[in-house]
Amino acid sequence: MLLHDTRLALRSLKRNPILSLLMIVTIAVGIAASMIAMTVYSARAGHPIPWKEDKLFAVTMDTRDEGPPPPGLPLRNYEYPPFTLGYQDAMAVYRSDIPRRSVVMYRTGQLVMPERANIKPFYVPVRVTTADFFAMFDVPFRYGGGWPRAADTTAEPVVVISKYLNDKLFGGVNSLGREITLGGRQFKIIGVLDAWMPHPRFYDLSGGGFDLPEDAFVPFEWVRAGKMFPQSISCVRRTSRVVNFESLFTEECLWLQSWVELADSAAHARFQDYVDNYVRDQKQRGRMPRPLNNRIVNVSTWLDMNNVVGDDTRMQVIVAVAFLVVCVLNTVGLILAKFLSAAPIAGLRRALGATRLDIVRQHLTEVVIMGLIGGALGLILSFGGLRLLHALIFSRGLETSDNPARLTLAQSFTHMDFSMLLLAVVLSVLTGILAGIYPAWRIGRLAPATFLKTQ
Amino acid sequence: MIEMNNISKVFRTDVVETHALRAFSLRVEPGEFVAITGHSGSGKTTFLNVAGLLEEFDGGTYHLEGQDVSRLSDNERSRIRNEKIGFIFQGFNLIPDLNIYDNVDAPLHYRRMPAAERHKRITAALERVGLSSRMKHLPSQLSGGQQQRAAIARAICGSPRVILADEPTGNLDTTMSEQIMELLQSINAGGTTILMVTHNPELAQRAHRQVHIVDGRIDQIHHFGTVQRASAAAGASA
Ligand SMILES: Nc1ncnc2c1ncn2[C@@H]1O[C@H](COP(=O)(O)OP(=O)(O)OP(=O)(O)O)[C@@H](O)[C@H]1O
Ligand SMILES: [Mg+2]
Repeated sequence: MLLHDTRLALRSLKRNPILSLLMIVTIAVGIAASMIAMTVYSARAGHPIPWKEDKLFAVTMDTRDEGPPPPGLPLRNYEYPPFTLGYQDAMAVYRSDIPRRSVVMYRTGQLVMPERANIKPFYVPVRVTTADFFAMFDVPFRYGGGWPRAADTTAEPVVVISKYLNDKLFGGVNSLGREITLGGRQFKIIGVLDAWMPHPRFYDLSGGGFDLPEDAFVPFEWVRAGKMFPQSISCVRRTSRVVNFESLFTEECLWLQSWVELADSAAHARFQDYVDNYVRDQKQRGRMPRPLNNRIVNVSTWLDMNNVVGDDTRMQVIVAVAFLVVCVLNTVGLILAKFLSAAPIAGLRRALGATRLDIVRQHLTEVVIMGLIGGALGLILSFGGLRLLHALIFSRGLETSDNPARLTLAQSFTHMDFSMLLLAVVLSVLTGILAGIYPAWRIGRLAPATFLKTQ
Repeated sequence: MIEMNNISKVFRTDVVETHALRAFSLRVEPGEFVAITGHSGSGKTTFLNVAGLLEEFDGGTYHLEGQDVSRLSDNERSRIRNEKIGFIFQGFNLIPDLNIYDNVDAPLHYRRMPAAERHKRITAALERVGLSSRMKHLPSQLSGGQQQRAAIARAICGSPRVILADEPTGNLDTTMSEQIMELLQSINAGGTTILMVTHNPELAQRAHRQVHIVDGRIDQIHHFGTVQRASAAAGASA
């Protein structure tokens, strides 16, 4: 039956090649637009570490002043506490022994002085972090590993470097035990990472979420020992201001990310209590005037709160799907006209014993096949569109970087994986059904005698 | 075979109501060859469409082989059309982009018949109408008479109980008409009931009966012969 319907459908498509092509192209353009928008969307909407969804939690506290938001601040989700912590509060979180692992950290930029004369000094992004970072985020190592917790408090001069930095400085060989000069100080390499690109870079979303991890990681106490200034600071009191390095520790300014790994929901509840109690205590001391609003959230919620996907990306999907719907509606008229022009044959088939369902199915098959051809063409178009998008937008700035991971990152936004191909097939069939269901139903419902007379 | 009592059929459009059939009663015996005549617009096609379950009617009763068809669902009506009725039209109504073989196959296909059985029936039917050598031709590659013979092959391949032919010779010249008429008569001789609309009085006289319709009613019935088994019964409003 399916084979028969398919044969009839192909024959019918060949009968009006121009009209068929027109409809197929219309569908293809609609599907291409949707596929492009959805590919970019899915690249942004992915979960970077799903296997730790119920273990990893970002810690936030509402340390803001009372009253309305200061002018100029985006009002979106003003109910969320700030996404970073001040030094005192982050340390309070870190002191709790409820979490299995706990990380306090920030991003800085430091100058690397290469030993080889042919490489000029260059800045690398550096993460100053407590020891649990690597185990907590399942960071893959190529050589060596991280540092013990004790190294955090003593500012041990050890460093973990990225694959890129190891490739650049040491040609990719095992560089454990060698030294690099970072911010004017010597650090001993104790670990070299493998390729690692959490997507989005959820643990620190201050740069928008889609950037590479840092190239060097040093123990937390280097914040003081190395006076490594954070890349981004926001002060939550109108009176707070960072005037010198010490202000980081005394003013109400936020610059630290805090993450915990909790064993189970009971631990989460206990930890929430711990943070709430800490904030209550601070309130007694005249800090944190707002109502309790400490959110200890898993990665999904965290990404959502940070709007990582972005309103633009969401909007593009909506617009693209709306466009596809317009394309479908457009073809509905053409399909109906085409079906009606062949109605006498449908009537004849009814006279010969075809049921309504036979007629509906036969016509619907034709449109679904058209949808599939349109989908295939749409896929080709969207491959082209994504390449263009890559060339025009995502590959910007790639020429100035010698880090191949940048290209991988850029390509990830326009890469169609298997699930997207599957989605394209589903979308094509759905488009065919949507475009064809009404015309097919109309043809199936017409009384057979009415067409026979017109022959 | 066919038993219609007081059938009425009204076509309603925005402006007019047309009473295409009024108090139409007719009984057709199995194996009968009935010619339907009447002026244009008198309701001949409407009668055939009602008889062939292509059109519903508004009043009266219709029994086809003893079965009350007014209560049937659309699917059941399709199945009866498929299994019991063969249609032949003035305009041949072959599917233009199917070859003759596939055209004849269409009703068998809707009967979900196995391929081997279908093949046997199609070749036999085409043999019967003398088109064995034209199976792969498209309708447009055949003459009018050949097309009508293909249509007859399509009508008979499912071994229907009744064939409804609406001016089957209307588009053909006398020689071709004669061929078609002979074919229909031989089919009828095999026991298949035939109802044929025609404007040709000579052809009408070769049927067992001629039913003349005027204005949606049976006006006169002429008897020219009888079926071996049963005798033709009179309609109501003769
Ligand atoms: N679908 C329809 N809608 C409205 N009126 C119709 C319809 N079909 C038929 N009629 C009307 O019903 C009447 C009978 O039509 P019918 O087609 O049965 O005539 P006929 O006897 O077959 O004529 P002809 O010899 O010209 O084929 C006509 O007046 C016609 O205009
Ligand atoms: Mg007529």
